[in-house]
Amino acid sequence: MTGSLSKSIVIWTFVAASLVMLSAPTIVVLGASFTAGNMITFPPEGLSLKWYAAISQASGLRQAFFRSLYVATICTLIAIPVGTLAGIALAKYRVRFGRTIQVYLLLPFTIPLIGSGIGMMLAFGNAGLAGQLWPLGVACAVINLPFMIWAVTASASNLSPDLELAAANCGAPPLQRFLYITLPAVMPGVITGSLLMFILALNEFLVSLLLVDARNVTLPVQIYNSIRSIITPDLAAISVVFIACAAIAIAVLDRLVGLDVFLKSK
Amino acid sequence: MTQFAGISIDKIGRGAAEVPTESVQGNSMSAAPAGVPQQETAAAAAVSVKRVSKVFGDVHAVREASFDLPKGRFLTILGPSGSGKTTLLRMIAGFDAPTAGDIYIGGQPVKAVPPHKRAIGMVFQKLALFPHMTAAENVAFPLKMRRHDARTIPQKVERYLELVRLGGYGKRRINELSGGQQQRVAIARALVFEPDLLLLDEPLAALDRKLREEMQLEFRRIQKELGVTTINVTHDQREALVVSDEIVVMDGGEIQQMAQPVHTYRTPANAFVANFIGVTNFLEGPVVETSDEAIVLSVGGMRVNGAAGGTARVPSQGELAAGALRAEQIRIAPTVQGFSGLGNVVNGEVRDAIFEGERIVYEVGVPELGGAVLRVFDHDAESHQQFGPGDSVALGWNAKDMYIFKK
Repeated sequence: MTGSLSKSIVIWTFVAASLVMLSAPTIVVLGASFTAGNMITFPPEGLSLKWYAAISQASGLRQAFFRSLYVATICTLIAIPVGTLAGIALAKYRVRFGRTIQVYLLLPFTIPLIGSGIGMMLAFGNAGLAGQLWPLGVACAVINLPFMIWAVTASASNLSPDLELAAANCGAPPLQRFLYITLPAVMPGVITGSLLMFILALNEFLVSLLLVDARNVTLPVQIYNSIRSIITPDLAAISVVFIACAAIAIAVLDRLVGLDVFLKSK
Repeated sequence: MTQFAGISIDKIGRGAAEVPTESVQGNSMSAAPAGVPQQETAAAAAVSVKRVSKVFGDVHAVREASFDLPKGRFLTILGPSGSGKTTLLRMIAGFDAPTAGDIYIGGQPVKAVPPHKRAIGMVFQKLALFPHMTAAENVAFPLKMRRHDARTIPQKVERYLELVRLGGYGKRRINELSGGQQQRVAIARALVFEPDLLLLDEPLAALDRKLREEMQLEFRRIQKELGVTTINVTHDQREALVVSDEIVVMDGGEIQQMAQPVHTYRTPANAFVANFIGVTNFLEGPVVETSDEAIVLSVGGMRVNGAAGGTARVPSQGELAAGALRAEQIRIAPTVQGFSGLGNVVNGEVRDAIFEGERIVYEVGVPELGGAVLRVFDHDAESHQQFGPGDSVALGWNAKDMYIFKK
């Protein structure tokens, strides 16, 4: 009895500590954004929405936010076809060098982001694309593609090979089998993967910093630049908007397919 | 090669040769006279499998399988797992290509026809219903893919859902249906476009016994109602006996026998078929005497009278042979009194008595037969004396009920 009591005390302490540590930054930013004063402080000095009003006026921040959305959209549009087809192929067929491809897909994680970022900076620079926005979307798609593939693979490996045979038996030619049977069956994985890709590209900082020139920055870089001069509570407010975007995406994901699809993926 | 009533197979059993002509339905295929070219039989058959083999690596999954199935008949391919029955079915469906041999459907060779262009309905072992569609969408899928008039599709779907007794269930999603209901959706989907041929790949294997037996009768009813030619694959001998017009028994990739259920059961072509279907005792020993009517084996020094089994070659004198004897063909009594008419009478001791409800299964040790243990059914426990372990009993059976196969 006492054993199980002390065990549960330990476990609950752990859980509480983890929750506090994980949520503290968000809570601090959230609190600071509502401050009525002119400095970022926590706890806030009084309550006010004036910094939210301020960011709605600040065209620099707003434009940076739209640039981030643009990059995230490009990244997602590239990742959906590439990641879906690759994920299905890796899960369903005995692809030649399948193992090698899977290990290769881990590389973007094992190579430090700064390394791959510099590589891409050089590559895009040589191609004369440096400073533009859309290459950043491509870069984010390349770096984060494993997430997309994993999400699709998780759905596709639950897929019974009999389903396509059954569709063939029903008279469906190969393309129809893919469109009507395989694709809907892996759709949860595709949705999960694309939302993740969107969020990751929206939040991407380091690669943005390296690839984009100073007049064309994305939101995380814009915030970073502002911190280096004066730290005002409008940064906290824009961060909250940012966090809200990610939270909405996660909520949409949970609503559409359930988070367990992603949690189950390898 | 024997040809008879549209059924021609290379390894024919005695059962097939005894098929009564009047039992064959349909067209003018009654008792084709000897010498009719093979081609004509093939053209008339709904499905014709000719010397089909399938090799995976160095495994011979199917070896020289041949049979003709007339239109409207219900054929079951029966065999243990690994016997090649599912491979044969997949080749008919077009999912695998034969390594050698040809398959004809409706008289046409189908070698070059991909699965989606074959007019075959199939119920898969794991059903393979489309999980993201409703029951009605599943049933409508073959109609859409086969470009049926879109205006007629809802009516057809409803009609086939009613046929499988799922009227009104169309809007349910697949995971909202019970196992038996999913089974019925799979049947409706396989039949809705009125295929020339229905294939069943052990779809009942996963069901519990009661539901399985109900669905067996359901398959039988629907098949009779629509008259669709059907090939069913199973390892369940009872299912094969209950549902089929014809049974093909397969083992080791080869067809062992093709016959009507009653003949498969009563006159098995060889020891494998005798052993696989029913509860069968085997008594082994050398042949000591052969005549037109009877074969005598020496089992543990005792003479045992039997009849020639289904094999083409009767074992000759001195050869080692096995006598197959069904558990229900043996009579059991306290003494040999009343067994005077039987060709074989032995004394034994009950080792075990297993009560199975509708019958009692006795295991009886027989010292006279070299200590062989025979399984004996007593169906009518009421009027008989019941025996317990250790009781002395007499066993008797007719010589004609014991088939002698060469080893």
